[in-house]
Amino acid sequence: MAEEQVFNRIAVLRADRGVSRRDLAAALGVHYQTVGYLERGEYSPSLHLALRIAEFFEVPVEVVFSLKPFPKLGSTS
Amino acid sequence: MSPFDRLHRRMAREMEQDRLVPLHRTRRRRRLLVAAGAASVLLLWADAAVSWAIAPSDTAVLVNLVLLVAMLVIYVPVVTALNSATRGLASLPERHLDERQIAERLRAHTYANTVMRVVLAALGVVILVAMWDEGEKAQIPGAAVFLVVFALWWTHFLLPLLVAGWRLPDPPPDEDDDAAGQAGVA
Repeated sequence: MAEEQVFNRIAVLRADRGVSRRDLAAALGVHYQTVGYLERGEYSPSLHLALRIAEFFEVPVEVVFSLKPFPKLGSTS
Repeated sequence: MSPFDRLHRRMAREMEQDRLVPLHRTRRRRRLLVAAGAASVLLLWADAAVSWAIAPSDTAVLVNLVLLVAMLVIYVPVVTALNSATRGLASLPERHLDERQIAERLRAHTYANTVMRVVLAALGVVILVAMWDEGEKAQIPGAAVFLVVFALWWTHFLLPLLVAGWRLPDPPPDEDDDAAGQAGVA
């Protein structure tokens, strides 16, 4: 179970929308360090938190989270 | 809002203060703090052992006092710094924590529980061995019994914080720090 990893694009979306880590944390009701751990992939959120993050950015959850690494920006694949 | 709520909110705010960060910025420093915290608990066990060996006596009272003061001198700053490092993960009520913190707290309690089981088993063995020769006539000074229970309680109380401090990964850098750093470089 410890090997399970969920990849996410929270940092990219946050930078794109100009939202600080503390603002996102306040909107989600979590500690700002939790947002940092999420971005570093050191914590996988509950389904509830994942859905709330997607709702905050107004995108489908699969745009934010994936079981496979997201392609790098500019890559064709 | 109840007085407890007010107290917990104040504690939560205090644990967000950054003035103690230099004490626990790196994993090495946090683990040194945990080692110091464990040493403070060991002083309580030493206190109980001294009472068992030489209580009741004036020397036992003096040694108890010195060990308790030494324990408190280590305990207070170490626990304050560890609470700051873990942001109250082991000390605040669950309603002040988010899901990651609650999960980490449960993990810390699970490890602490395992350690506590070993401590209880070791204590049982030590008491059995120490009293073996005296058989049914064996006696333990009342002060020693009290101090052993006190040391057990304190160990049980402190272990989750020590485990949480030991396991804590380096927190993500604060964006304010990043911005200040970049401003400094520019």
